[in-house]
Amino acid sequence: MAETDTTLPLAGIRVIDAATVIAAPFCATLLGEFGADVLKVEHPIGGDALRRFGTPTARGDTLTWLSESRNKRSVTLNLQHPDGARVFKELIAQTDVLCENFRPGTLEKWGLGWDVLRKINPRLIMLRVTGYGQTGPYRDRPGFARIAHAVGGIAYLAGMPKGTPVTPGSTTLADYMTGLYGCIGVLLALRYREQTGCGQYVDAALYESVFRCSDELVPAYGMYGKVRERHGSHYNEFACPHGHFQTKDGKWVAISCATDKLFARLANAMGRPELASSSVYGDQKVRLAHASDVNEIVRDWCSSLTRAEVLERCYATATPAAPLNDIADFFGDRHVHARRNLVAIDAPDIGETLIMPNIVPKLSETPGKIRSLGPKLGEHTDEVLREWLGMDDEQIGELRAKRVI
Amino acid sequence: MAKGVRPTKTTNQTSSVPEGSESAMSTEPEVTASVDEPRNDPMPMPEPATNRDRLPLSGIRVIDVGNFLAGPYAASILGEFGAEVLKVEHPIGGDPMRRFGTPTTRHDATLAWLSEARNRKSATIDLRQPEGVQLFLKLVAKSDILIENFRPGTMEEWGLSWPTLQAVNPGLIMLRVSGYGQTGPYRRRSGFAHIAHAFSGLSYLAGFPGETPVLPGTAPLGDYIASLFGAVGVLIALRHKELTGRGQLIDVGIYEAVFRILDEIAPAYGLFGKIREREGAGSFVAVPHGHFRTKDGKWVAIACTTDKMFERLAEAMERPELAAPELYGDQRKRLAARDVVNQITIEWVGSLTRDEVMRRCLEKEVPVGPLNSIADMFNDEHFRARGNLARVEAEGVGEVVVPNVIPTLSETPGRVTNLGPPLGNATYEVLRELLDISAEEIKQLRARKII
Repeated sequence: MAETDTTLPLAGIRVIDAATVIAAPFCATLLGEFGADVLKVEHPIGGDALRRFGTPTARGDTLTWLSESRNKRSVTLNLQHPDGARVFKELIAQTDVLCENFRPGTLEKWGLGWDVLRKINPRLIMLRVTGYGQTGPYRDRPGFARIAHAVGGIAYLAGMPKGTPVTPGSTTLADYMTGLYGCIGVLLALRYREQTGCGQYVDAALYESVFRCSDELVPAYGMYGKVRERHGSHYNEFACPHGHFQTKDGKWVAISCATDKLFARLANAMGRPELASSSVYGDQKVRLAHASDVNEIVRDWCSSLTRAEVLERCYATATPAAPLNDIADFFGDRHVHARRNLVAIDAPDIGETLIMPNIVPKLSETPGKIRSLGPKLGEHTDEVLREWLGMDDEQIGELRAKRVI
Repeated sequence: MAKGVRPTKTTNQTSSVPEGSESAMSTEPEVTASVDEPRNDPMPMPEPATNRDRLPLSGIRVIDVGNFLAGPYAASILGEFGAEVLKVEHPIGGDPMRRFGTPTTRHDATLAWLSEARNRKSATIDLRQPEGVQLFLKLVAKSDILIENFRPGTMEEWGLSWPTLQAVNPGLIMLRVSGYGQTGPYRRRSGFAHIAHAFSGLSYLAGFPGETPVLPGTAPLGDYIASLFGAVGVLIALRHKELTGRGQLIDVGIYEAVFRILDEIAPAYGLFGKIREREGAGSFVAVPHGHFRTKDGKWVAIACTTDKMFERLAEAMERPELAAPELYGDQRKRLAARDVVNQITIEWVGSLTRDEVMRRCLEKEVPVGPLNSIADMFNDEHFRARGNLARVEAEGVGEVVVPNVIPTLSETPGRVTNLGPPLGNATYEVLRELLDISAEEIKQLRARKII
């Protein structure tokens, strides 16, 4: 039996995650943390490519798999085999949510398109994630987060002015963000379904997720033809100083003065309150007009002190500042510990304890739960076929002999 | 200028809707009308929703008392899918986002405000005055969701602690977004997205190895990501409330929302002590996987995450032999010879125009994409076909192009009803109709600068 907590808000909700890598599966991960019973449906040979993405463990499956496939049960099923498609339809009849990310037309080719599935289960909610969405001229193009960052405009903006555009910090941003948008869509659709009985599908494109999160980029071009370029390490369009500064010990801090009040605090932290007078740099417009001078002053100050000293002085005057943490800094931070942002879970089959990101967001009454790490391929095939479809050993044996599972 | 943008189908252009005409101001939740299903049909197909105005969150009232984006963007999403969103702002100046970014002809609205404060009404209440607090509590009693992002402790100082709020509305769902969350030693520190990007570890990773870390593309990224997690929390809590009658508190630190989405960085350090460093335009997991400059000075992204993809790229380059197992056919071999493989790709891409690289890669199904500027995106046929750019009329400004609603729902697509409202445009309506305060009293509250 699925060991979900019956008091969690999504207890009793069944999710089939037939998707791969991170984007659509992350939606299923979030649903699972809050009580849904999530089946990972994978191809019998090799399974989800996420099992091979990143650093492998003694078990073969990578760290990302173990962390991000938390709470899921693995069922193997070859959807390209007619018997596999038949079993899949039987599972669909029993489920609430399906997450998938095949290229548009693939499920249709196997006779498992939306029109077929919704007839089997009119209450079905289907999350479809692809690089470019289900419609539009590029829908058939292969799309990964890296490509989505490019198409959605965020890659163009990361890097030194006129220099090579860089990865915006992480190559998988668009995957996770699309998983979040997908999860929002599924939760909205669930609510609508409970009021009307009507299921629906959610169409999410990787590039759209990063494109959406672009503050005034769109209206500023639409109205004034303004094309935003790469900002490097200092965002000097609306706020100054707002960037990264190196300290005496070779580390980095982020400082952000979005308002004049915050700059006054920084000036105090620097022991130079006169800089914030209205005749000097007290006004944001003046600071922006003399951004390189202002940044120079802050840079000189930061480079005369260690990171700890800069931060101590900024915190003393409530100036927004933070260290550019590497992962070692993050693991050692007392706030991270107090917030329990890292959770240690035993992985007996690799003989290690795995440390991974804990659940976000924190709910006061129904906090999410991590019950298990990413499953082994096909670990739960038999149990699920019995539990959901009432199959017996003979039927299961037959499917296995035909390599359907 | 905005050439080729056309109005989108998924957006209701409702510039003509007069303020205050929406039925959502009723104090009663909307009656749940069920859609009749055909009888005697073994596999009933759901009827298409007869009332296209019915959305998943119709009848839900949200109070957004936050500033800028971290948290308020969650309210925007709820509003796009049917919730009534009331922005509660300080009577003098209101949300500082009204002044952040490129100004417009309206003194109380920048472009960022117009776009991101969509689907709201504005009511002014001074929460620093006891009478303002009393008014606010009355509003909370008539709402489902409260969203705020003050520095932790601020609302408590005003007499608006969670127990007080819960006492006036036991079913209340409250989303609290702050830089560092509601607990822990740094909770009182001010935290903007820029600070959260640094603290979470994202900023450390953006830029070239050994060089200055750069901004990760967009300044408010963490605000949006925190809001997405917040919206997920609100929708889960709403379900719990509908099952049990009980509300709850959702606590999101911006930094932890960003940290949550950094794939294997935590387990890889925990298990192997591996500290991820800046990777420039590349990635540690695959080669070639990065940004490449074309002959005409533009850029493309190429992502060969698997051997199969590299084989296709080798074919696109007309050098299929590169994908032989003894050469670079295997990801591990490519990772070991990262510089060589990247150099081959750099040279090939550099010998062709962007259009030509795109054409050859797409022909072989290599994952490729142009590094679009905003001008590129406005002129792109796919953006147009997907309706990603919505033209919406903004009061006192005219037509503004904004990013359209995502995700796309087949039965209940979201909509943009109006852009960022004028300061206090619904104060009277809210006090008069929702709280049943007399016109005379409203006048007095206004005179005393409480609203």
